Amino acid sequence: MAHCDDCEQMMQPYLDGMLSDEEVAEARAHLKACPWCERRFKFEEKLRHFVAVAVAATEPMSDALRIRLSELRSSQT
Amino acid sequence: MSDISPDATDARRIAEVERDRVRFEEEALELSDQVYRVARRMVNSREEAEDLVQDTYARAFRAWQQYQSGTNLRAWLLRILTNLNIDRGRKAQRSPDSQPLEEGDYFLYNKLEETLPDENPDEERVIERLSQNVVVEALAEVPHDFRDAVVLVDIGEFSYADAAQILDIPVGTVMSRLHRGRRILKASLAEKAVA
Repeated sequence: MAHCDDCEQMMQPYLDGMLSDEEVAEARAHLKACPWCERRFKFEEKLRHFVAVAVAATEPMSDALRIRLSELRSSQT
Repeated sequence: MSDISPDATDARRIAEVERDRVRFEEEALELSDQVYRVARRMVNSREEAEDLVQDTYARAFRAWQQYQSGTNLRAWLLRILTNLNIDRGRKAQRSPDSQPLEEGDYFLYNKLEETLPDENPDEERVIERLSQNVVVEALAEVPHDFRDAVVLVDIGEFSYADAAQILDIPVGTVMSRLHRGRRILKASLAEKAVA
């Protein structure tokens, strides 16, 4: 079974679906037995979502730019 | 044999092209929020992002016939945007060797956990130590070559292959920059959130 250090190395590729079946099985076996690593994996998933939401909520496109973009259309009437 | 005159055929073709152009412009404009969101995180200011998006749309509307219908329009627009950004004198990508070494993947969690009184807190409580502002600030501090990969894949939800095409780098490079970019982001978050 993998150690916590190995599990840490596998976290990103695991969450990205980039591990081989064998490596996935190894990671899952470790996570099942290790709540310490499991919390860190769950945190990573939530963090990625949190980052995307934080960025989406900050400084959305201005209406002025929206108008300027639509004025670039050739089909202006 | 058709008995339609050459003039009528031409007129019909022109009308078809015009219809395609209008459809292209509408589809591109529908993606503008998403294009802006990615652009804003690739550059350092709102003004820069707005100029870049505006120039991107101006170029896209001129070159619309180069877009292959049915392919990823959002990726096509961001490819133009990336090229324009480079044309504007964005510095050449620095060698990854010159970048600061990032911490391991558990580093942020470990640091945040230390700020909580209870032992082994739930990951939900750990993430509450972060604010949206801190995330946006920390992301801005990630060196741009790594940041672009994180922004495209984690925020823009592009595939590795699309990100590779947008940035004009191999897929393997996207993956390694993404991996390191996320680690650099987490190290930067840890520094800000715990300070």
